[in-house]
This record gives sequence, structure tokens and C-alpha cells, in this order.
Amino acid sequence: MAPSASSPSSATPSSVTPSSAVPSDTDDRTASATSAPAGPAAPRDAVIIGGNRIPFARSGGAYTKASNLDMLTAALDGLVARFGLQNERIGEVAAGAVLKHSRDFNLTREAVLGSALSAETPAYDVQQACATGLETVLGLANKIKLGQIESAIAGGVDTASDAPIAVSEGLRSALLDLGRAKTTMQKLTILSRLRPKDLAPNAPGTGEPRTGLSMGEHQALTTAQWNISRAAQDELALASHQNLAAAYDRGFFDDLVTPYRGLVRDANLRPDTSLEKLAKLKPVFGRSLEAEATMTAGNSTPLTDGAATVLLGSEAWARQHDLPILAAVIDGEAAAVDFVHGKDGLLMAPVFAVPRLLARHNLTLADLDFVEIHEAFAGTVLSTLAAWEDEEFGKERLGLDGAFGSIDRSRLNVNGSSLAAGHPFAATGGRIVASLAKMLHEKGSVQGRPARGLISVCAAGGQGVVAILEAR
Amino acid sequence: MSVTQPELLPELPSLSKLYLNAAGMAAKNRLLGSDRGPGLPEYSAQVNHVVAGLPRLTAYQHLLGNTARDVMPAGFVHTLAFPVAMQVMVREDFPLPLLGMIHLRNRVESFTPIHYSQPLTIRSWARDLAGHRAGTQVDLVVEVRADSGDDVLWRGVSSYLAKGVYLPGVDRPAPASMPEDFNAPEPTALWRLGVDTGRQYAAVSGDFNPIHLSALSAKALGMRRSIAHGMFLASRALAEVRSPEPDAFEWSVSFDAPVYLPASVAVRIVDDRDADGGWHGSGYLGWNRSTGRRHFSGRVAPLSEGP
Repeated sequence: MAPSASSPSSATPSSVTPSSAVPSDTDDRTASATSAPAGPAAPRDAVIIGGNRIPFARSGGAYTKASNLDMLTAALDGLVARFGLQNERIGEVAAGAVLKHSRDFNLTREAVLGSALSAETPAYDVQQACATGLETVLGLANKIKLGQIESAIAGGVDTASDAPIAVSEGLRSALLDLGRAKTTMQKLTILSRLRPKDLAPNAPGTGEPRTGLSMGEHQALTTAQWNISRAAQDELALASHQNLAAAYDRGFFDDLVTPYRGLVRDANLRPDTSLEKLAKLKPVFGRSLEAEATMTAGNSTPLTDGAATVLLGSEAWARQHDLPILAAVIDGEAAAVDFVHGKDGLLMAPVFAVPRLLARHNLTLADLDFVEIHEAFAGTVLSTLAAWEDEEFGKERLGLDGAFGSIDRSRLNVNGSSLAAGHPFAATGGRIVASLAKMLHEKGSVQGRPARGLISVCAAGGQGVVAILEAR
Repeated sequence: MSVTQPELLPELPSLSKLYLNAAGMAAKNRLLGSDRGPGLPEYSAQVNHVVAGLPRLTAYQHLLGNTARDVMPAGFVHTLAFPVAMQVMVREDFPLPLLGMIHLRNRVESFTPIHYSQPLTIRSWARDLAGHRAGTQVDLVVEVRADSGDDVLWRGVSSYLAKGVYLPGVDRPAPASMPEDFNAPEPTALWRLGVDTGRQYAAVSGDFNPIHLSALSAKALGMRRSIAHGMFLASRALAEVRSPEPDAFEWSVSFDAPVYLPASVAVRIVDDRDADGGWHGSGYLGWNRSTGRRHFSGRVAPLSEGP
């Protein structure tokens, strides 16, 4: 593969020495103090070896009592078993959760300690809302490319069933003051501040802190802005279920998913759903807007529990360990939009990230063989496509000569996406990366070049992370 | 292996009923005298189609510090099988009184990981009735198989002491020489066990022996305060020694001074590793830092051979 992974315009570290070769592997089972550090190396490929996730459960379903730590460890267990990583010292493991209890400050490291990986495997947590999973892949891939590490595991987990619940601000403030109080009188004064309402707990929501609108209400604004019809959203949802069901039926997920707690397939999957059934659902978001309310439980993702992991490595590491190489992580791009006062829709950041990323590689939408756009809502995907097809938007907002382009729908989310699989926030990136890597590997080459895929994930806070993978 | 045909029980006996039966029998024997024989009866009990409940398994895993895996921890299998062993001990012809028995040692061989959905056949019998300097001891053997298979998946041997009970025909060994001195090493961990530790473990294990539940119920049975379940301590040590549990391993524990609740238990775990980092086992030890008394000691090690 051409060394297109490092873009001319990106900030390439100046210390890179092109002459240094791939660092030799150290004994992975023990932390050897005498082994030479990997040292700076020429940017090289970071490859995707495989992935493992647990089936995604609907909130309140099969994983109700399972914690983030349980599920992330379960996903790691399957990855370790599939690729023979028992006692292996992995370069680094990064994962995260969006809904995370403060006691899980070291969630990923704790999962590593509870797994069969070497206890000498370092780990860190990442949190970038729904982009968490994809960001772990990109960050670790960069470390591999720079020669800092030889192997890595990226991942993410979320539970809406076992979500942390915080005490109210009033109670929290009183408890902290109580700890600092010295006299009984002071303590009584503090306690007298408490009112019954202070005892009500704060459950986490999906509302944006600055607007107070839920994610669904935000998307409803965008959906209306781009005139996305109910029928188009339901059609996308139907395709997601049909594609995911077909992928399960032909065994596509046999080496990507490990059963957990009795669940063998994503619980949200409805293989027998139909446009008629989807059309019967009542709108749940955007009901107070002037435009027709079009977003239903059928074309929006449900709250979901689950975890996903991806095994990454240098080519040398993969070969030394006799492991498959599915795809290479080419590049990634993050973007953010000013959604707070409505300049752009909350979930529209990828609309800006993708043109920048493709331009860096002299690619257009037509050069992509697979496109994975995370289905937070059917309206998100369709608004993204509409913006790219809009001439005015292309000129004024993307700075192009015209519309950015359109996507061949037969290449979009071909094995289903979040509407069918569900969306455990931080786990979605790992699900998509592992699936796309396998799809690319199966596809092989197209017109003499490696098959190429795009991933686009929107996130709370008006952010988005996108990435390009290429078949190996 | 027990020679007699096991009595097939229709389902797992209820531990609370078994404790009540034991209490009733103790009262009756006190009034009327025991008609127990001096030796062990030729008896074994068996229950088929035992399947763990997922909620209880998950609660157990979280309490003991295990990850909620689909494979059952070896200590959980012990709790699952314990009622069958109890059934052996509450029978009229069992020579020792169940209530007040002290758990001396426990040894488990776990030959293969067991998925929680696996229906199990559990068989138990008593063996090796023997004199002890403080009374009479006996071993309760439990074997767990898959319903459909002959291979033993899990075997546990629990040694109990009936303190102050001396049976005719059972030799009483000479008092041991001075108990060995225990010099506390530096701990690798400190467990803070709340006063409700016994109740919490009772809820996930089903072992509602009153000596573990509250100071009051423990005093009724002659204890100063409630004490932690021995198997709670050993299972927590196992969880800290190895996660996930090895595919095949043995896990032993010897209990010394009881852990009165609430408690702070100093723990030391020492891994045996070869030059390549390969694991050959771990020893563990728990003690009271203020009194310097040892609470428990044990070992976890890989098993290379089948049952």
C-alpha cells in the first residue's frame, strides 16, 4: 500500500527518521526492562486484525445487571480467545464509555486486569461521546504508525440499563460541606439546608447541556430543515434491519460476535419488520415543530447495552503472531459544528469532516466502495446525504464548486447499522470498524486498487469523527 | 466414588428447611438421645437437571469481585451444590450433628469451565470419618457432571469438624504439638468487610447459617459476634488470584481463626512464576493485623490432568 497514510498537510512529527526499520518485537509475555524501546520510526501501516463484540441488548433486556466493566471484559474475553492473546502484553488498550460511573475512572485498565491479557498491558480511557469507539481506533492506530506500540486493542462499552445515577446538586454540595464541618452546630446548619427535592436523584439523559434539547429533538430540527420525509426514514430503517438480518443469516458475524448472557444476536433486530409496520409507529420527536413530525421509535436508535473491541497491530506484529490482516487504518478526521444557536444541526459535524478527509487523499465519494454512516437516527444519515447533494450547501458551507456528491445507496451500510443493531454509544465505533474491515478484506481489490471504505460517526456536543479504511 | 446407588432427590433441597430440620433434630437428640450409629452410612444424594439462576450468579459475581462472565466461578458451583451435601449431613443416620460444625478445609478441582446454562447432575456423600484432637472430622465430597456426560467437571471436598464430639471406634489422635507460630508477612491487600458481609454472602450463596447473619443470631449459637463465611473468604481470594479462572485448576483453603464482622483482613497473594512468566500457581493468606492471628491460607494452581 502506498504510504498515503501520512498526509502532506497533517502535522507529521519532525523527529521521524525515515531510515529506522520496523522495531523488533520484544518478548510479549514479560515486561523486559532491557528491551530496546521501539523508538521513532517512519510512519508505517496500522492494520486491523479483527474484532469481537457481544450482541447488543435493548436497555432493560439481557444485560440489565451487567456493568460496563462486565461487558467490556466479556468483549475482551472473546477477542483474547479468538486471537490467542492469553498472557500477551499488548502495546496499549484504549476504550471508554459515555455513561460512566465515577468509580470506573480506570474502566479499561480494570477490564484488562480482569481479562486473560498480561497484567503488564497498559490501558487508558477515552470519552468523546458516541465517537469514543472510533477515536480509540484512530488514536491507537496513530501510535502504531509512529512505532510507539506494536499492538493495540480499541473498544467501547455502554449500558443504559446500569447507568450511573448522581445525587442532586443540593445534596452533593451539602455532603461535601458536611465532610468539612468541624462542629455539631455547623453540621446541623448544613443539614437544615436540605430540602426534600434535594433527595431526588439525577439520572443521566441524552439532553444537550447548552440547549436542554434531547438528541432526538435536535435531530428533528435538522430532519425538518432538510425536508426528510417519513417514508425515506422508514425505508432506511427497513434496509438496516434487512441488511443486518441477512448478514447474520449468511454467518457474517460468526467471527465478530460472541454470545453473552444468553443473547446470540442483537436484540433490537427485527428481521420481519416492514414498511407497513414502521409506518404505524407514532412520531416521538419533533412533535412541537411546524413541520410534520416524522421521527419514530422505528427510525431512531433505542437505548442499548453492549461492548465492542478491535485488535490492531503493525503488519510485522500481525505476521509474527500468525494473525490475519483485514484492513489498514488510512486516516481520520474530527469536526465540530456550532450547533448551539442553530447554525448547523447537532449531528451534522461529519458533513464537514468527510470532505476535508477525502480532499486530503484526493478522493471523492465515488472512490468509496463501502460507506458506513452511523444511524443515530435515519434522519441523521439522510440529512447528511442531502447536505452533500445540495449545491448551495456545497458552495457556501463546504467551500466547493458545487455539491460535494452523492453516495451509491447500494454501498451504504450494507450489513445494517445502528437502527437495527442498536447503539450502545461508545461501542458503536468498534462495531463498525471491525465489520467494515472484514467487508473490505472480503471485497479485496476494486479496479486494481484495494477496496476502500468510509466511516462516519456523529456525536453529542456537535462533534463527528470519520475515517478511511483500506482492504488488505 | 460412592458404592451405593444414590438417592435421587427431585430438586435441590432448600437450605433454610435443612437448617430448620437440623435444629429440630438437635433438640430432639438432646431430649431423647441420639440414635445415630458410630460410622458413616452408605448413602449418597443426587440431584439432576440443576441450572443456575442468572440473577443469583450475577449478584454472586459482583459481590465476590468477579467479572460477570457466562462461565460460573468455582466458588459459585460450590454454593450451587452445597444443599446436596447438606442433605447428606442432616440425615438421622449421619453420625455428627450438623449445627455447630466447623469448616476446617476445602479443596476444589475445577476440570473445565462450566457455562451457566449447562444443566448439571450433582452428587454428594460423606467419607473419611476421623478423629481430630478437638472432636471428630468428616469429609463431604461433591461431584458435578453435565446432565448428559460421565466426566466430572467439578469436584469439591469439604472437611468439617464436630467440636467436642467423640465417637466410639474413631481414634482420637494425640494432641498436636504446639501450633506453629504464625509470623505475619507484609500484606498485598487489605479487605474491609462490613458487618453485613455475612448477610450479603448468604443472599447470593443461599447459606443462611445463623452464625453468619447477625450478632444476635450468632450469639444464640455461642459465637461472640457474626462471622464471615469461610467460602466467602476463599472465593474472594480466588477472584483476586486469577481472573478469568484458569480452564483447569485446583483451589484449596484451610481455615484458622474465624473472621468476626466487621473486620479488616490483611491478605497476601504470592504468584509462582517460571523464568518465562508462566504461572504455576498462587498461594494466599489472610490474617488479622492487630491480633496477628491467621484466618485462612490456601493455594490456586493449574491442573494438567483430567479427573
